[in-house]
Amino acid sequence: MFNLSRLEHTFRVPPDLLSRPIAEAIKGELEKLFLDKVIPNLGLCISVYDIRSIEGGFILPSEGAATYTVVFTMIMFRPFVGEIIGAKLKDSDANGLRLSLGFFYDIYVPANLLPQPSRHEPDPRKRGRVTWIWDYDGQDFVIDWQDEIRFQVRSVSYPPIPIEQPKESKPFAPMVITGSLDFDGSGPVSWWTDAVQVE
Amino acid sequence: MKILEASVGPLTNLEVFNFLKSKGASKDPTRVLADVAPSEYKVVYDYLVETAACNQTRENINEFLEKSKRYDLAKAEVLNIINIRPTTPVEIYSMIEQCDDRFGDTVEELVEIVAEVLPPPPTEIASDEGINEANLKTGNKENNDKEQVNEGKEKAAE
Repeated sequence: MFNLSRLEHTFRVPPDLLSRPIAEAIKGELEKLFLDKVIPNLGLCISVYDIRSIEGGFILPSEGAATYTVVFTMIMFRPFVGEIIGAKLKDSDANGLRLSLGFFYDIYVPANLLPQPSRHEPDPRKRGRVTWIWDYDGQDFVIDWQDEIRFQVRSVSYPPIPIEQPKESKPFAPMVITGSLDFDGSGPVSWWTDAVQVE
Repeated sequence: MKILEASVGPLTNLEVFNFLKSKGASKDPTRVLADVAPSEYKVVYDYLVETAACNQTRENINEFLEKSKRYDLAKAEVLNIINIRPTTPVEIYSMIEQCDDRFGDTVEELVEIVAEVLPPPPTEIASDEGINEANLKTGNKENNDKEQVNEGKEKAAE
């Protein structure tokens, strides 16, 4: 789920940071630049793990700040395909489920990857929202809002930034995980702990 | 920006948890003074704190790595097991490729090792207690009610 990646970046350190130790100033700038952002094909930046080297410090013509080249290691959130992750339900409509990890929300489970056969019933509390129910041997298993839901990562995609965003569309997501719940042991944790107790 | 090495190495949830905690992420209100970004804080307290990583220690993980060696698991599988801490065979099945062919019946052993070596996540402890309490309540509802009434009386007497 979490990985270390080694990166190199060349950037300006503004002169108001001159009074601070260089390593501290650079770490702060890196955090400002990268934290909570997605690097395509690499994942979501969680935290600066360490700084390997700081080089340069040149003042380029017509600039009032030093430019450094920094090699650093970043903690990335990048799940591998096939990984099992526990998440919470964030949204649920006729197309499938949307799950959340608390710090990452773009996890989708399309209807065809839900446990089969599944059906959905409209949620009385909110329009457009549905409750998905897995019909197993005549027994109903409801995907509810309290439980941790285990899903398997099917694919991680990094859609390109759209040039023009259609009006009233969903906000652009730079990293989208497609998950599946169509195997034994997936879905809300209580489905399986209860099942074992019944046996 | 240049990517020098896309993957230097994977981290377990525990390592990320400890790293962010050592940076000063805590539930304390003075945390705003610490050098932790809100997004980092979210990783710890919106997610990791409810996972099994919360109660694990490095010793637990080393012990598990040692004990799981003879099962010839792939690195990714071990990592996944440590992060999720599956305690029933049905949970572990999906984490191991071709579990039936490779393990057969020994999967039960592996589950036992997981349950024994890795400590349970905090939510599980809480919910277990919750279930027990609920059972007690439904089982001895009348008694409980009476007790409560008695307690109430005692309090009133005091």
